[in-house]
Amino acid sequence: MNEALLTLGFALVTASILALSAVAFTLEYAVTNVANVSHGEILTVGAYAAYLVHQRTGSAVAAALAAALAGGLAALAMHSAVIGPFIRFGATPTIVFIATLGMSFMIQNTLVIFFGAANVAYTLDPGAPQHIGPFLLTPLDLEIIASAIAITVALYLVISRTRFGKALRAVSQNRELARVTGINATRVAAATFFLAGLIAGYAGFILAESVGSFNPFFGFSFFLITLTAAVAGGLGRAFGTMVGAVLVGIILEFAGGYVSASYNLAFAFAILAIVILVRPRGLFTNARRTVFE
Amino acid sequence: MSAYIVSILTEGAIFGIMALGLNVIWGWSGDFDLAYYGYIAVGAYMTLVLTIGPATAPAHYILGLQLPYPAAVVLAVLSSMAVGLVVGLIALRHLRGIYFSIVTLGAVYVMYVLAGQYVPLFDGYNGLSGLFDPMGDWFGLDYLSYQWFLMGLCLVMFGLVLLFMWRLSNSRFGMALRTLREDERAAAAFGRDIYRLKLKGYVIGAGVGGFAGALFAAYLSAFNPSAWSPVEIIVLYAAVLVGGRGNIWGVVLGVFIMGILVQESTRFLPEVPGHPQIVLALRGVIIGLVLVLFLRFRPQGLLPERRYVDPQPKLEPATQTA
Repeated sequence: MNEALLTLGFALVTASILALSAVAFTLEYAVTNVANVSHGEILTVGAYAAYLVHQRTGSAVAAALAAALAGGLAALAMHSAVIGPFIRFGATPTIVFIATLGMSFMIQNTLVIFFGAANVAYTLDPGAPQHIGPFLLTPLDLEIIASAIAITVALYLVISRTRFGKALRAVSQNRELARVTGINATRVAAATFFLAGLIAGYAGFILAESVGSFNPFFGFSFFLITLTAAVAGGLGRAFGTMVGAVLVGIILEFAGGYVSASYNLAFAFAILAIVILVRPRGLFTNARRTVFE
Repeated sequence: MSAYIVSILTEGAIFGIMALGLNVIWGWSGDFDLAYYGYIAVGAYMTLVLTIGPATAPAHYILGLQLPYPAAVVLAVLSSMAVGLVVGLIALRHLRGIYFSIVTLGAVYVMYVLAGQYVPLFDGYNGLSGLFDPMGDWFGLDYLSYQWFLMGLCLVMFGLVLLFMWRLSNSRFGMALRTLREDERAAAAFGRDIYRLKLKGYVIGAGVGGFAGALFAAYLSAFNPSAWSPVEIIVLYAAVLVGGRGNIWGVVLGVFIMGILVQESTRFLPEVPGHPQIVLALRGVIIGLVLVLFLRFRPQGLLPERRYVDPQPKLEPATQTA
């Protein structure tokens, strides 16, 4: 029992990182109706930016800001260079899906050219583990969880209270109708990508420091888990996605703890396949329409 | 230099068979299948466990038989088709578009993790090795003449697969698959069993992939998780897209362009000291870029598929009989 609670504590850390990555992915999906396969590369770019800035300045806060900014710019570039033009050109979601897969391949290999394919060790001092309630967590773990909650709250306020949030919701519900009412859908989508990139870049930074090392392919393998969380929560639904991420994070951590961490990806995809087949619109919806393009 | 040409032609023929199999699934049936490289891998792994004999001490793998190579190839193709059937049964039932792609991506990662981590299956990360010159001693070939023999074998097999695809392309089945790609509802209205047709196409594609994998195993004489990765499928997609999806001659052209020009032209770039992967990475960037640019500016490829036009478009509906 005690061990189960300890595992739950570690699961909360995984779930926090996953929630940030998945909510960013689902925001990208919401405004474009396209699954951005190169989403994982935003995390990778964030991790490299954090590492470089941390080496120069020695400040973790500067590293976190650099990660977020680099992630935001990377996501904005993805939207303006590939995803936006494809959508304006009238490409189907599958075609854009393939294009973002190609883009992901390009970015990974570009990072290999500049930084090499080897793992880069990147650890912050996690501090001494402390008992917090039934959990055993380091101060670093606590910072990760707290920052994830803070970002979620801030994102909730932006989406529900601001004019931009209103435009974002309008574009995600019906792009054409939003345009008719005078919303510049392309600009809203670009801004949403920047916002999602800020979150995903920061997620890349905390993922890198919680794993302890990263390489040009590290975002892509995390993307596969992100996708599971986002689909479980319902693609395009920001807050369903958060719950999906927490659930997937907990399931993975328990599966990894009791079976073997190396099977994590296989587990993630078993969950994903079941969710897509049984509840294609996500776990938390009563929509009757199934997904059939 | 002649050894170099032999190796390019052998690789090119194997790569061509892979692309022709993918063309059935993506070009005709129209499904963006990410699990395809898994079927190639199943073909290669199964060929090895059926030919290299029982595992010794630290190594573990299933079967460990010493069948003649052609028998192993047949069984390997059947295994790939079986795995393709399982994935297809699940993924093709209701899912289309990106949901199909996501589930097949999941399936291939499950295969990759199992092959790489579950040691009793194919010896985990170490993989399998020891298939030296299959069929070579039947003809008493030495190492050098065996390379020529394998090249000939792969080219002949490529020719046979191409002939098979050409027949399939013009068959009623090939036409029916294209109809599904263009408009599933219309095809269903004309009495086509969508699920069965798609599944049949998918399993054929998986089998051709497995066949290419079996030849690949003979060429590499070993197979392990560092020899393949699910993302390598991008290169095959780029080849099919550049040539012209749905048109087998386009696919052949695409294989020629991507295989020979991109893979081989970067081979002569100078090595950058301290960056051993730079040439490989540059190749990756070029392949990704080609994929994105073709999708955007020439999605039909260099040799587009012929469009079929109704020869009697103005037939009165009343005169048609069932």
